[in-house]
Amino acid sequence: MSTALLARPRAARARGALWVGILAAYVLSTVALAHSSSYHQGLLLVAAVFAILALSLDLVAGATGLYSLGHAGLFAIGAYGTTILQANYGWSVFLALPVVVVAVGLVGIVIGALSLRVSGLYFAITTLIFTIIVNVLLSNLSITGGYQGLASPSFPSFPHALERFGSPLVWAVSGCLLLTVTVVWSIRSSALYPVLLAIRDSEPFASSAGVRTAATRVLIFGLSAALAGLAGWTFSFLGFITPGQFNSTASINILVMVILGGMNTRLGPICGAVFVSLFPVVVTINPLWQEILFGAIFIFVIVFFPEGFVGVVARAARRVERLVTDRRDERRIALEPAADVVRHSQATGRVVDPPDLALELDPPGAPVGKALPAPSTGPALEARGISFGYAGGVEVLRNVDLVVSPGTIHGLIGPNGSGKSTLVNLLSGQLAAQAGTISVMGQRAEHLRAWQRAELGLMRTFQTAVMVQELSAQDNVAIGLFSQFRRIGSRSLAWPMIPSARRDSRKMAVAAAEALRHLGLDQSWARARVADIPHGVEQLTQLAAACVSRPSILILDEPLAGLSAGEVGQVAAILRELKASGVTIIVVEHQTRFIFDVCDKVTVLAAGELVKTGSAVEVRGDDRVREVYLGQ
Amino acid sequence: MLQVLLTGLSTGAIYGLVAMGFAVVFYVTRVINFATGQLLMVAIMITAGLSTLHWHAYVSIPIGLVASVVGGVLIYFVAVRPVLRFNRLSFAWLVSSLGVAIILESGAALIWGTSSLSFPQLLNGNDVRIFGAALTWQQITTIILAIAVTAAFEVFRTKTLFGKLGMAISADPDIASAMGANVTGYAVLAFALGGLLAGVAGILVGPISFANPYLGDTFGIYGFVALMIGGIERPAASMGGGLLLGVLSTVASTYINPLASDWFPFVVVIAVLLLTPNGVFMSGRALRRSLSRVVRSTTRATPRPTL
Repeated sequence: MSTALLARPRAARARGALWVGILAAYVLSTVALAHSSSYHQGLLLVAAVFAILALSLDLVAGATGLYSLGHAGLFAIGAYGTTILQANYGWSVFLALPVVVVAVGLVGIVIGALSLRVSGLYFAITTLIFTIIVNVLLSNLSITGGYQGLASPSFPSFPHALERFGSPLVWAVSGCLLLTVTVVWSIRSSALYPVLLAIRDSEPFASSAGVRTAATRVLIFGLSAALAGLAGWTFSFLGFITPGQFNSTASINILVMVILGGMNTRLGPICGAVFVSLFPVVVTINPLWQEILFGAIFIFVIVFFPEGFVGVVARAARRVERLVTDRRDERRIALEPAADVVRHSQATGRVVDPPDLALELDPPGAPVGKALPAPSTGPALEARGISFGYAGGVEVLRNVDLVVSPGTIHGLIGPNGSGKSTLVNLLSGQLAAQAGTISVMGQRAEHLRAWQRAELGLMRTFQTAVMVQELSAQDNVAIGLFSQFRRIGSRSLAWPMIPSARRDSRKMAVAAAEALRHLGLDQSWARARVADIPHGVEQLTQLAAACVSRPSILILDEPLAGLSAGEVGQVAAILRELKASGVTIIVVEHQTRFIFDVCDKVTVLAAGELVKTGSAVEVRGDDRVREVYLGQ
Repeated sequence: MLQVLLTGLSTGAIYGLVAMGFAVVFYVTRVINFATGQLLMVAIMITAGLSTLHWHAYVSIPIGLVASVVGGVLIYFVAVRPVLRFNRLSFAWLVSSLGVAIILESGAALIWGTSSLSFPQLLNGNDVRIFGAALTWQQITTIILAIAVTAAFEVFRTKTLFGKLGMAISADPDIASAMGANVTGYAVLAFALGGLLAGVAGILVGPISFANPYLGDTFGIYGFVALMIGGIERPAASMGGGLLLGVLSTVASTYINPLASDWFPFVVVIAVLLLTPNGVFMSGRALRRSLSRVVRSTTRATPRPTL
C-alpha cells in the first residue's frame, strides 16, 4: 500500500499528460473539421450530436438501469425550443442555450419523479409514451409547423478577428460534445459511480449506506435530460427539423446506438452513435433494403453481442489479463503453497490489526467516524411496541420491544418466519412500522428513511449479500462510505478535476482496502470483481462495507450464512473487537452456539411475538425458548 | 349518441384485439412484442396481395391469418428466445422485436410498394339500423367477435387446467417448469395467439383501412396505448382499454373536432398513468388493498394498553 501511495504522483502525472494529449488531438481535429467541406461537416456533426444523445442515455440506462425511451422527446424539446425561441421571439441562440438545457432538465426531473413509482419495464413504457405524446403535439400544433416542421435558425458567424477558425457551428458542436464527455466521464470516475450501480443492482444496499436512492435517480435522469436538451440545441442548426426525426423509433435508435457500442462503457455510446449515423451514408442502397439491413443488425447484435462492441473488446482484454495473472499465481503457489489466499485469510484467525488503523488516515475532524457519540445514558437503540403486517397479509410482528444497550452485542434469534428479518428491516428503515416507536442513539427515528438512519450511524448487512457484481470488492466497500463524505453528487460532475475530490477518492480507497484487510481479506481479494469471488468472501465484503464508515450501531442479518467454520471464528473475533471499540451490534443468526458465545443479551422471537429477552444463560434456561426454538 | 358509442366500440374492438395480442404475449413471457402491429399489417397485406391476384377472399383471408400466426412464432424463435436465454429481466427483446418490426414493414413496402391496395369488402357494404344508429355488418361482427374472443380467453384462462398452467408460468416460469410445465410450448402458443389476434384485427379493419405497409405502425401504437389504458397484466383488461380508447376517440372527433382523435387518446393515457399506473381495469385490486390498509390502520388507532 505504501509503495502504491508513493508511486501515485508519477502515475498521475503520466495520466495527466495523456489526457492533455488527447485533448490536443481533439482540438486539432475540430480545427480540421471546421475547415473541411460542408458535406463532411454535416456528416460528422450529426454523428457528434447523436454521440451526445447516446452518452446522455447511457448515463441513465447503463449506470442507473433506467431504460429511457423518452430521449427522442427530450431531444425534440431542445431542438424545437431553440428554433421557436429564435424564430418567433428573436432570442439569441446563446441565450436560448441555457434556457433550453435547464428547461429540458426540469422536464426530465418531472418525468423522473412521476415515473419513480414504476420502475424497470414500466419506466421504459412511461417514457416511450412521453415521446409519443411529444411527437403527436409536434405534428398537430401550428407553432411547431405540423408535419412540415421548421427551418433551422442560422448560427451566428465568428467576428472578423476569429474568422480563421473556420465554421463556428463546428466549434459549438465540438464544445458541446466535449462538455458532455467531460461530465459523463467525470461521473464514471467519481465516487458517485459505484453508488449509481448499487442503486441499479441493489437498492437496499445503497439506501442502507446512506444514499437517497430515489432522489439520486431523479436527479441523474434530470441531468441526462439536460444533456439531451443540449443535443437538441446543437441539432436545431443542422437543417430542417420535422416530427419524424423525433418519433419513438428515434428513441429506440438511440438505445440501439448505446447497446451496439457497448452499454455502460466510456467509448461505447460514441462508437455506436458514429456507426448508426454514418451507416446510411456509407451503405448507399435502396432505402428500404437499408432499413431491412438495419433491422437485421439490431437483431444480430442483441442476440450475439449483447455487450456491444466495446463490451466484447473489454471482455477479451479481461480474459487475457486473467490468463496472465493465473499463470503468475500458479507459479507463486508452486513456489509457496501456503500462499493460497483463502487459507491464508482463514488461518490468520488472529484479529488482524489494531482497531485504530483506519484512524491514522484521518486528520482530526475528518469525516470518517462522523457518527454521533453514544449517549452516556439510555439505550443505543430502542424499539417499543413495534407492529407490522405486509399489505393484505397477516401481521408479521405484534407489539415487539427491543432495547439494546450501547457497546453490547445483542442477539436476535427465533424460528424461521418469526419476523427477525422484518424487525431488522424496520429498524434500518427499509420498511415502515404500522405502530411503535424507534429511537436510534436517543433520537426518534421511526419516521426517518433508511438513508437518514445511516447518517445517524446505523449500518446493516443483508441476509443474502447483493452487491454490484461488476465492481471490485474494494469499490463495493467504498459505497459504505457514502454518508461520510460531503457533496459527492455535485462534485461528481467534474470529479477528476477537483483536488479535494481526488483526495476523497484516495481516502475512500485506502479506508476500504483497510476495512477489507481488517476482515482478513488481502489485496488480491480487494481487487477481484464481486462476480468472481466465492460466497464467503462476498459475505465478509458486505460486512466490511457496513463497518468501513465506523458506525455506532451495526445490524447483521445472518452474517454467518454460508461461511466456513474458520470464517465463523473470525467473524466472532471481529464482532468482539468492534464491541471493544464501542460499536453496538445487533446480530440475527441461527447458529445458537455462536449467538450464546458472543452476545451479551439475546432476544427470542416466535411467530411475531417477543418470547424472552435476557442474558445468554437466562435465555438458554428458559422453558418457553426451549419449547419454541431450541428444542429440549 | 348511440351512433357515437357503437362506432366507437367497433373501432375500439380493433384496438382491443391488437392490445390483447400484446397482452397475451406479455402475460406468458413478460415480453412486449413490438412487432404486433406489423403482424396485423402482414395479415392485411397478404390478404390484399392475394386478392389483387383474384384469389377468393375465403382463401386469401385464412392465408393472411396463417401468415400472421407464423410470423408471431418466428419472432419468438428468431428475436425473443435467443435474448431471453441470457436474462429474463433484461429488455433486450425490446430492441430485437423492433428490429423485426422494421424488417417486416420495409419488406412489405419492397414487395407491394408504399401506396394503398384495395381490400375485399366482405360485410362492409350493407347497413343495419339499430335504434336509429347506422352500422355496417362489418362493424357489428367486429364488436361481437372481440367480446366473444375476450370471454372465451377468460374462461379458458381461469377455468381450464391448461389455462391455469399458463397463469402459473406467468407468475414464475422457473417454478412452473420445475412442476413439469412446458414453458417453451406456452411461449410459442402465446406468440401464435398474439399473431392470430393481430391478424384477426387486421382482417376486420382491412375493408375500412385498406392495405398499406405502414398500417402496422399506426395500429401498433394505438394497440399499445389501449394496452396501457387497460392495464398490461391481464389480457381481458386490455380489451377493455381498447374499447374505452375507441369510444373516447370517436367522442373526441365528433364533439371536439375531427382531428382531436389524433391527440385525445394520449391525453387519456397520461391521465391513466398518473392516476393508476397499473391501468384502469387493474386498479380494482390495488384499490381494495389500499382500502384494507386504511381500515387496518384505523383499527390500529384504537387505544392499546401502554407498556
